[in-house]
Amino acid sequence: MYLPSGVYHEHYAQDQAWWRTTFIRAKMVVLFLFLLVIFPLGANLYLVSVANIIGYTILSAMGVQLLIGYCGQITLGHAAFIAVGAYVSAIAMLQYQLPYPVGLVLGAIAAGLWSVLFGLPSARVKGFYLIMTTMAAQFITVDFFITQYVSQVGGRGTFFSLPPGTIRIGPWTIDSELKVYYVMIVLVILCTTGMANLLRTRVGRAWIAIRDNDIAAEAMGVNIFKYKLLAYFVAGVLGGIAGAFWISSILAVSPEHFQFSWSLWIVGVILIGGAGSLHGTIFGAMFITLILEGLKFAIIPLSDSFPALQERFLYVKEAAFGLAIVLFLLYEPKGLAYRWQQIKNYFNLWPFSY
Amino acid sequence: MSRAARPPELEVTPELTIPKLFVRKAQEYGQRVAIREKEFGIWRPITWAAYLENVRLFALGLTAIGLQPEDKVAMIGDNRPEGLFAEMATLCAGGVAVWLFQDALLEEVQYIVDHCDARFLVAEGQEEVDKALAIKARCPKLSRIIWDDPKGMRGYQDPALIRFSEVQRLGRELADREPGRFEALVEQGRGDDVCLLFYTSGTTAKPKGALLTHTNMLKMGQNLLRVDPCQGTDDFVSFLPLAWIGEQMMSISCGLMAGFTLNFPEEPETVLANLREIGPHTIFSSARFYEQMVRTVQVKYLDASQPKRKAYELALGIGHRLADFKLAKRPAPWIWRVLGLVADQAVHRKLRDHLGLSHIRNAYSGGSALGPDYFRFFHAIGVNLKQIYGQTEIAGISVVHRSDDIKFDTVGKPIPETEVRITPEGEIVSRSPSTFKGYYKDPMETAKALRDGWLYSGDTGFLDPDGHLVFFDRTKDVFSLSDGSRFSPMFLESRLKFSPYVKDAWVLGHLRPFAAAVICIDGSVVGKWAEDNHIAYTSYSELSQDPRVCTLIQAEIQRVNARLPAAARVRRFLNLHKEFDADDEELTRTRKLRRAFLEERYHDPVQAIYNGAERVGMGTTVTYEDGRVAQVKADLRIVEVPDAGER
Repeated sequence: MYLPSGVYHEHYAQDQAWWRTTFIRAKMVVLFLFLLVIFPLGANLYLVSVANIIGYTILSAMGVQLLIGYCGQITLGHAAFIAVGAYVSAIAMLQYQLPYPVGLVLGAIAAGLWSVLFGLPSARVKGFYLIMTTMAAQFITVDFFITQYVSQVGGRGTFFSLPPGTIRIGPWTIDSELKVYYVMIVLVILCTTGMANLLRTRVGRAWIAIRDNDIAAEAMGVNIFKYKLLAYFVAGVLGGIAGAFWISSILAVSPEHFQFSWSLWIVGVILIGGAGSLHGTIFGAMFITLILEGLKFAIIPLSDSFPALQERFLYVKEAAFGLAIVLFLLYEPKGLAYRWQQIKNYFNLWPFSY
Repeated sequence: MSRAARPPELEVTPELTIPKLFVRKAQEYGQRVAIREKEFGIWRPITWAAYLENVRLFALGLTAIGLQPEDKVAMIGDNRPEGLFAEMATLCAGGVAVWLFQDALLEEVQYIVDHCDARFLVAEGQEEVDKALAIKARCPKLSRIIWDDPKGMRGYQDPALIRFSEVQRLGRELADREPGRFEALVEQGRGDDVCLLFYTSGTTAKPKGALLTHTNMLKMGQNLLRVDPCQGTDDFVSFLPLAWIGEQMMSISCGLMAGFTLNFPEEPETVLANLREIGPHTIFSSARFYEQMVRTVQVKYLDASQPKRKAYELALGIGHRLADFKLAKRPAPWIWRVLGLVADQAVHRKLRDHLGLSHIRNAYSGGSALGPDYFRFFHAIGVNLKQIYGQTEIAGISVVHRSDDIKFDTVGKPIPETEVRITPEGEIVSRSPSTFKGYYKDPMETAKALRDGWLYSGDTGFLDPDGHLVFFDRTKDVFSLSDGSRFSPMFLESRLKFSPYVKDAWVLGHLRPFAAAVICIDGSVVGKWAEDNHIAYTSYSELSQDPRVCTLIQAEIQRVNARLPAAARVRRFLNLHKEFDADDEELTRTRKLRRAFLEERYHDPVQAIYNGAERVGMGTTVTYEDGRVAQVKADLRIVEVPDAGER
């Protein structure tokens, strides 16, 4: 990491600190001020709702980032674990009248355990076969278990509705976009810092070793099976948190929120943002969400002459997403995070190139 | 005059010694950080209290193993806290510290250890211990070898060897038996006792040992600090050999006087990176160091992308203009000052940051004169670089630039309590409380150098109308061509070396019809240039003889010639097939050219240059650090340099 001249550390605690210079500290204070005060108070309802979508995408993609970007386990079924988190917390609140935070924790843990179950094959299979098993997780969980059985819990049919006032944290009822925003921002900050710290620990280093070369990692004494399952667990927990958060925003749970397309979508997010980077998760989520919102605005004036565009916006959206991924793989295969790093380097090394 | 606040001044009485001052300061500062050493990625701090305790135990340990007052203790190793402890402890115990250059060859080590009658040798680790054991048989006075780095030392059983911590353990036992012994040892010292014995690097003959007293060292530190005060909170990076007076001057004299923190780099190879981390407030280094910095910048500039190069050129142009105003002591017009602020923010600030000079208050260059181009460069990027002039025999410093009075063709004005005169023959002589006691066991040389308390330097120079000393060259190095015109080879060399492609230059011409140069190209920079120009080469010697490389160097010399008087222009040159190296005795350990030796070694090429030959065959011996000798054969191309106008 680039540090200016005159920054030195006498103790490892200083050396390992996240914010080591006054400049970084000031920058982070400004960032937090913006996220916690300026943006929520200054932005209109629409912007806040877009921010909530970005937050949900970040939380959803975080677990995928862990599995693909840090542990090298390709997954195409992550929406299943988001669904488990959403359903478990919803059932906990509706059937057992548990408070929302408890439901969230239960949802996260249940999703984590469910994820471990589908992580078990990773001890034996790799690559394409692993992709197949994760896809199996998607269809078994969402299209079979949840649609056929879980949705029948309490006789509600296919659709769990969360009546207003159900989602409360103590006396604080979450009933507006702004309140959802605060829940989101707290969860995103907690998950990001948690992940960032976890990746610096023995566990995180073991994951990275497995990603870089699993055989070498095993030869070095890393218990591959244990750490892979741990990765699945943590990824599942993150997915569960995303799911449990999302019900506070949409006040309903239905299998169609957790389709296979969402699994693919969040993989695309990390490809665009950059695999193996937490910045990448955030950049990717922002990029995709903002591009789509921009697309909506671009299509509104066109829809008078091409009414078909509006009717088929869903397809336009998918096409744009596909195009974005193709273009990124061609021109920016290391993602936005790499570009961000390059831009920082350009100025850090100024007026030289190395 | 200076930006730092002036602390109450300490009186250097005849009773005051370095150990007395050290004990007083250590007790005063207590838990403040005295030393940092980079180890395993962090700067491990050592407080003044711990520093004192380490020195106390080691001093008593030395006494316990038989050190008597005025015994010499030789020391060899990298700059590290243990080295400093050993030196300070030697002084505390009444001994005399003799530092050897870390990369000194076996014969040099043997000569010095034997000549100074050292009974103890403090070595760093296995490498130094091997040297010590190898010379032990030929140095009968040497009785114990102390080492501190255990790496590789397991198998060593020689009874003369003793570990640093073992000495300290013996010291602790002595302290338990006789509490107050350490204080008594420190008390018995007096200001005019000898504390350090320096072997001068010797561009000519065998090294001579200069004896310096406590008062010499303390006065020198005090007088330098009177010119440029340092603060206790300052940082200083100790990376030059402690066997060099300049490093002793900063680490010991000024370090104790001002109480700043010494920082020791992790390894000699990591010095530049470590220096950048610390961002010191004061640097004192050889001209070589600054030349290297400029070279790094030039190479990185050549490799940068187009917009960055443009920004650099623009900002440096502005900086040069402002530096010229400053050095001419004329106020700059406001438009230039505004441009200067922009250039500083846009480029210079970043440049200083890359070089680790962000916090520099004073940067000193000593040892040999730094070329004017370098001086201009550093002032252009806002680094307050000053020249220091002095000899080991006057504790390192007699003349320095003042911050508001810098001229890049002078070396400055005398420091307080120092007088500098020019003899009718043009020799620089000086007198101060820091003038040395004499050479060890060499009354003849002492009488030559020290007459009526004046130190005869053997350097030629003059005082300019503003009272600045202009150092021309070593008297014996001033060249006169056969037509009688005189010039300084060192000046020419430093101008030639400013080209990024030239690593070393050796100018010839004494009593000859014209000036000529032997050039050592910079392998990495010229190599990069060759790659960019699709020139294939396999080795340094092949690259150096490539005709296109010769043309490149020819153009560089022409540029230098254009700004020189006709008599001093370089007419012919050749690219040497190897770089100059201290291990081949071509350079001193402080990297000055050993001209007499070079003349002898490169007799044939030199003859060929003046014979008008086109090529010359050359066989050289290369000495490796372990003493092995190899033969290198080469065919060297000699190139004419036409005047720029004649092309």
